Amino acid sequence: MNAPEWLDYIDHTGDAGILLRAENLRQLFERAAWGMFSVLTNVAEIRLVEETRIQVGANDLPALMLAWLSELNYRHVTEHRLFGKFGIRDINDRMIVAKVSGEAIDPDRHTIFTEIKAVTFHGLRLEKSDSGWEAQIIFDL
Amino acid sequence: MQYDVQKVTDYLWELAPSGGMRVPARIYATEAMLPQILSDNAPQQAANVAHLPGIVKASLAMPDIHWGYGFPIGGVAAFDLESGVISPGGVGYDINCGVRLMASRVTRQQIVPKMRELVNQLFRDVPTGVGSAGGLKTTVSQLRRVAEQGARWPIENGFGSEADLAHIEENGCNARADAAQVSERAWKRGEEQLGTLGSGNHFLEVGYVAEIYDAEAADVLGLVPDQITVIIHCGSRGFGYQVCSDYLDVMDRAVKKYKITLPDRQLACAPISSTEGESYLGAMRCAVNYAFANRQVIAHRTRSAFEKALSMSREEIGLRTVYEVAHNIAKIETHTVEGAQTRLCVHRKGATRAFAPGSLEIPSEFQKIGQPVLIPGDMGRYSYVLAGTSKAMLETFGSTCHGAGRAMSRVKAKKAAGGRNIIREMESRGIIVRGQSRRTIDEEISEAYKDVSNVVDACALAGISRKVAQLRPLGCIKG
Repeated sequence: MNAPEWLDYIDHTGDAGILLRAENLRQLFERAAWGMFSVLTNVAEIRLVEETRIQVGANDLPALMLAWLSELNYRHVTEHRLFGKFGIRDINDRMIVAKVSGEAIDPDRHTIFTEIKAVTFHGLRLEKSDSGWEAQIIFDL
Repeated sequence: MQYDVQKVTDYLWELAPSGGMRVPARIYATEAMLPQILSDNAPQQAANVAHLPGIVKASLAMPDIHWGYGFPIGGVAAFDLESGVISPGGVGYDINCGVRLMASRVTRQQIVPKMRELVNQLFRDVPTGVGSAGGLKTTVSQLRRVAEQGARWPIENGFGSEADLAHIEENGCNARADAAQVSERAWKRGEEQLGTLGSGNHFLEVGYVAEIYDAEAADVLGLVPDQITVIIHCGSRGFGYQVCSDYLDVMDRAVKKYKITLPDRQLACAPISSTEGESYLGAMRCAVNYAFANRQVIAHRTRSAFEKALSMSREEIGLRTVYEVAHNIAKIETHTVEGAQTRLCVHRKGATRAFAPGSLEIPSEFQKIGQPVLIPGDMGRYSYVLAGTSKAMLETFGSTCHGAGRAMSRVKAKKAAGGRNIIREMESRGIIVRGQSRRTIDEEISEAYKDVSNVVDACALAGISRKVAQLRPLGCIKG
């Protein structure tokens, strides 16, 4: 599967990482979630049949990105689900409310490439850029 | 990156304190290993750890040092109980990732004709892989007892025997675990995973004793050439990862509360004696116990798999636990600091306890030789049994290395494996491998790892552990 033009995968000795670009903060967080699931599986194979509401909060923007992705990974692991579409309804630098879509893991259709132990602060970068925002996130595998 | 590294001995290098460093950073390595070690960020991480309040003597790095979360992997750092801090990054996400070595009465000659059957049976009986089903289904209250009792819980529920316990670090249970400090998320992540190997670099390997370096120690451990061994390498699964994540978040806030200045946010910590510090210790110990229980269940399933595949009785096979060690953990220990017996909180992340002969914390039958240390290599080469030394007690808070460390990223490893049939290659070398995914096997090829014998030799030359035996693989299962 080819990565979209706004996403690069970072080659890291022990872990996996993504570098992404977006026009605004909402899109940055939506794309970060998509990027994380693309590390886990082929996102194109995820049918968007169930919708879930997610709300997370944190003390600052990097911590918010961590909380958002950690929540999604937690639900993936404990509820055995995959998410492929992320619609953020509300976002500021301390809180996100979103509707995310996906389905239960189907071993016949989905190949899960790896397990993300955690989303970490290592190399976590959220920065304004000329064209909007840029983020780098490293996942502990 | 440029480092001002000074030679202390042929096997020990030092970054003198500068800037906010309270103690030196010391790296155990041969001169030949140094360029590779200095080429990444890991020595800087060792230097960053030296900034932390209450750190004692030095921020230490073993020869397998490589980049990690805040603390380097292969790092050892000890803190004064009153003035020092505790940090989840100094333990790692996979709390009590560790290794159990088992030895049997079966010989290599007996097992080789049945190796494929055995590997297939192990693959059926020991759940591996991402999201693996087949873990023990535990209720919340059972899981709480696992967190409090460690390896005792499976034994009391029919998985293995009391004889295993004495041969596990801490006798398979940290009695000061505090289940009340564990979040609901961690319980949830742990509830289906007890008795599972996981994926990535976790494995279960059947091998044989290939070389003996220390006849006396090998004799005490009951290791003889061509004897069949089992190595189980895994940790606390999602339970531990969640405990670490939860407390990194707690510590991120605690740093501001206790006005601790950090060179790196990932070194988030709190005073050991603070509420946050005590809570983390209590929760971490639950994850330590989960991992002990996990390996105990897997060991039990391994014994059953041997019986089924070899059609031999448990007594004939005689798979016993030689020893089990933790290599991601924080422990309260007593060490000599400037002549005085001092209680310290010792963090080992990708480093193994290696207590000297005479240490009371190790089984009485090992006191003559020192604590056994198990150093797994990659799936194609070899692993080692070492023993702890008095020099380790003097210099490294009784610690040594833990393994080989990756040399290649997963992407590069997959490229290197591309177009090759790794399983067939391994088989042609006499090693039967089964994995849940081709991708994991490709990512885990030998070339992706450093040669563990270099790491082990460096520790032996530095005197912080002694080589006892080399084990070689015949078969393994991976996630």
